[in-house]
Amino acid sequence: MENQKKRILVVDDQADITRMLKLNLEQTNDYEVRMENISSRALAAAAEFCPDLILLDVVMPGIDGGSLAASLRVHPKLKGVPIVFLTAAATKEEVSMRGGIIGGSPFLAKPVDLAEVLRCLKKHLGAAANVKEEA
Amino acid sequence: MNSNHAGQESERRYQRLLAAVTDYVFSVTVDQGRPVATFHGPGCEAVTGFTPAEFDADPFLWFNMVYEEDRPAVTARAEQILRGEAPPALEHRIVRKDGSIRWIRNTAVPRKDAGGRLVMYDGLVSDITDRKRAEDELRKAYAELTRRQKDLNVALQELEASNEELKAAQLQLIQAAKLESVGTLAAGVAHEVKNPLQTILMGLDYLHNNNLLASDGNLKQVLGDMRDAVTRANAIIQELLQLSAQREFELKREDLNLLLERALSLLNNRFIASQIKVARRLGANLPPVRIDRSKMEQVFINLFINAVQAMAKGGVLTVTTGAGRFGGDLDVAPAACPQFHRGDRVVIAEVQDTGTGIAQEHLPRIFDPFFTTKPVGDGVGLGLSVVKKIVDLHCGAIGIKNASGGGVLATVVLKAEPEDS
Repeated sequence: MENQKKRILVVDDQADITRMLKLNLEQTNDYEVRMENISSRALAAAAEFCPDLILLDVVMPGIDGGSLAASLRVHPKLKGVPIVFLTAAATKEEVSMRGGIIGGSPFLAKPVDLAEVLRCLKKHLGAAANVKEEA
Repeated sequence: MNSNHAGQESERRYQRLLAAVTDYVFSVTVDQGRPVATFHGPGCEAVTGFTPAEFDADPFLWFNMVYEEDRPAVTARAEQILRGEAPPALEHRIVRKDGSIRWIRNTAVPRKDAGGRLVMYDGLVSDITDRKRAEDELRKAYAELTRRQKDLNVALQELEASNEELKAAQLQLIQAAKLESVGTLAAGVAHEVKNPLQTILMGLDYLHNNNLLASDGNLKQVLGDMRDAVTRANAIIQELLQLSAQREFELKREDLNLLLERALSLLNNRFIASQIKVARRLGANLPPVRIDRSKMEQVFINLFINAVQAMAKGGVLTVTTGAGRFGGDLDVAPAACPQFHRGDRVVIAEVQDTGTGIAQEHLPRIFDPFFTTKPVGDGVGLGLSVVKKIVDLHCGAIGIKNASGGGVLATVVLKAEPEDS
């Protein structure tokens, strides 16, 4: 179980961003990544993919990241899945001043490098694992 | 006979004239410098209420009817006339027979004989009460007018002061509106630019971690330069957002000394790491200033960071505050502060470093956006633009020059708030 790859769903309307995240994360051999560029399809994709964590853009055409997160948090299969917002709408300064948490949710401010993404994933996947073990 | 007839006719015409005039005519016969007989024309009754017969019966009636306060002037004038002088007309009050007080104008013309001796003088007494009343009313009206003019002058000064305040408020609103539109644009541009930067950064990470490229020694350098370029581009966006932050402009009365202490404490670790000592010369009892605390903190943080970068080998950062009258006891160049008037109460804050200073040819451009003399990576040249913009928004002034003892001296001037408001 230790060596099992963590499943990450990346939802962003920018296909180049999801592609780069997938390439980088999968290159580590620790993650299996699924990309979704149309936010209205993200809920179904998540239900099918059963991710361990969702990296979610905020400003997207159609359903925005905030609304999508609200739907994910009430979904029976997905409500415990940690969500990390990856957005250009907040500045690094704003995010770091709030300890990486805005409105109770973890945030990464674009542009962010792989090392920072990996640190964030480990932190929130670890927290989620602890929650599961306690449960 | 003819001559006598002509004389009688002349006398009759004179009497008719006397009866026709409403003014009071009198003639006083003088002998040896003393009045011996007085003729009162019929007009005396209209002016004084007394008939000629009553004047004839009481030789002192003319004097007794003079209002008591005015008697010395009347006596003095009578003495002048009896000495043969021709004094100007005298205006004084009388008490009429019915007890009412009237103003009269008494004009006397001396008549002298061939030897130059006074033998008679003729007088004309006119009732000028209405004119006096009109004059009195005019005086009162003039006094009222003067008082109102003073009131108007005070109101005008207050209006001018209000107008100046309105102009300042309008300027702030215009600046805020400009920043709001620039802010909207900047926020949009920032969002759109950060997404491609994200792709580039992730692409660089992928290439860096790809073993196939490790064989080319130059590639590591190329990828490092590209990563630095992404970092710089992101820094420009951050500073643009800072320059045009849409956050509401909240002006409150603040203590500039406290604000400076907060800004200094935020950079304390950086001062220690750069071996910079901070010297505080904060003025006591500084009057408050009306500022947006967060934005003004940004001003001083930017000035402190510039000072730190200017003192690469360590040094002393001196922060000074004071208050005084603009153009008076403060050593501030008035030309750099057209928004202030001589005598305005102002608060100043000075930030001085012991670095190498600014090249003279660069000084006129230091507030230009994207103008920088710093090495690549140390700044993109928006820090002082942000500082200037924020100070302008506060209707304040900022000047930056090379200090006489070396280093750079930045002076921020803000209008002081009244202590008691």
